[in-house]
Amino acid sequence: MNSFIEVDYSQKWKSTERIPGDIFLLSRDKTEGRIVCTLSDGLGSGVKANVLANLTASMGQKFTTSKMDIIKSAQIIMKTLPICKERKISYSTFTIVDINSNGKAGIIEYDNPGFILVRDNKIVQTDFTVIPLENRFPGRKEKLKHTELELKSEDRLIFFSDGVSQSGMGTAAFPLGWRRPDIENFILQQISQKRNISASELSKKIVGRALLNDIQKAKDDITCAAIYVRKPRKLLLLSGPPIDPDNDIHLVNNFVKFQGHKVICGGTTAQIISKGIDENIITNLKERDVDIPPSSEMEGADLVTEGILTLSKTADMLENKESWSTMKPNAVKKLITLFMNSDEVHFIIGTKINEAHQDPSIPVEIGLRRTIVNRIKKILEEKYLKKTTLEYL
Amino acid sequence: MKKETGTGKIDVTICTGTTCYVMGASDLLTLEETLPEKILNRVNITGTTCLNLCKNKEDKPPFVMVNEKIISKANLESVKKAIQQELSGEKNANAE
Repeated sequence: MNSFIEVDYSQKWKSTERIPGDIFLLSRDKTEGRIVCTLSDGLGSGVKANVLANLTASMGQKFTTSKMDIIKSAQIIMKTLPICKERKISYSTFTIVDINSNGKAGIIEYDNPGFILVRDNKIVQTDFTVIPLENRFPGRKEKLKHTELELKSEDRLIFFSDGVSQSGMGTAAFPLGWRRPDIENFILQQISQKRNISASELSKKIVGRALLNDIQKAKDDITCAAIYVRKPRKLLLLSGPPIDPDNDIHLVNNFVKFQGHKVICGGTTAQIISKGIDENIITNLKERDVDIPPSSEMEGADLVTEGILTLSKTADMLENKESWSTMKPNAVKKLITLFMNSDEVHFIIGTKINEAHQDPSIPVEIGLRRTIVNRIKKILEEKYLKKTTLEYL
Repeated sequence: MKKETGTGKIDVTICTGTTCYVMGASDLLTLEETLPEKILNRVNITGTTCLNLCKNKEDKPPFVMVNEKIISKANLESVKKAIQQELSGEKNANAE
């Protein structure tokens, strides 16, 4: 399957709590291209629910990624989980999704609201098998739901905690909560309004709507996860002039041919491209920042920035996920936004050393381009689960 | 995105490349705010990603071009001075 599988989730905590009682975990195996994610809802809310949901989700995640059969892992979790003495129900519910690189998905559900599959802008009902569990409570039959699916390009899989489906419960508008047909319609509506809405945005919209149903005060933890199988969004980043000027033309050709977003980080590099494609560069002089030179614009490129200072600051900011969201719109924020909106990043790094950077009278340390780019590459892969490739010219 | 040329104004080009930026070009970006309106109307201030001057060992960054003239180790004062010179040069030319 030549698609990228985007997974993200959104969450609001019960308004009276300071930690969530729902836990979502995600892992991606880079070599195998396998994705495992678990959503667990701990009984009640607050610390107890958080601990239990964490316990459940971590077990689900560990067992499933350890190549143990998905059904077997779910059974072990069920055996391990304590049972609430008063309510005689299990301490947490869960959904585990396991997707391999061919798009084959296995889904195990225990008492969470059932997942929703959207294909060709329609809700698709899927067959599932019921796996009965050992009788732990007299008169109550517990079961797991197991679904096997072949995910196709443009498919979406959405699953959530009951904080979503029970949102608004008791209000005049939603006496019985946000019912499934209404959630399904809401999802279809979002997709019809924005055909390529990301998993991240869709999950945010669903949680936002559930919170609105609760009149902006979540009555329970509200968590929604979304999976979107789509064409990978690609980004090309050029930085640094080639060591051999004869390769400048190669750089220009790569730039022109590339299908996706294009960024140039570096003044000389930008000039090589500008000359090669005969377009002028306009610098945004209104962008003022002591550490970050202004970005520029050029027809054919999505962003043009200075090189090493911008890349160094970008690496620092990427390491700290929160700090850039509040940054004013400068070159670094623009670059990070492009990274975040891409699934695959290809770096072409020119290895010519700028001798002016070696001048000892320069007041700040100017790092080595290769080191900084490798640092960004590593953060993008490990922290943001992006695919990256790198070539030197 | 073609650059406008022939505006009849004095072109002031500030280099915002790495070396120039750390050597003081970030200050030079405030040029527009420090020029009196009378002069501001007669200059065209732009930035450039690199003037390719830092490779010359003799000159020191940051670099600014005022029309054809290269100003090395530029600061707000030296750039303003160069603009004044260009303006008076124009006057002289007109007078001739």
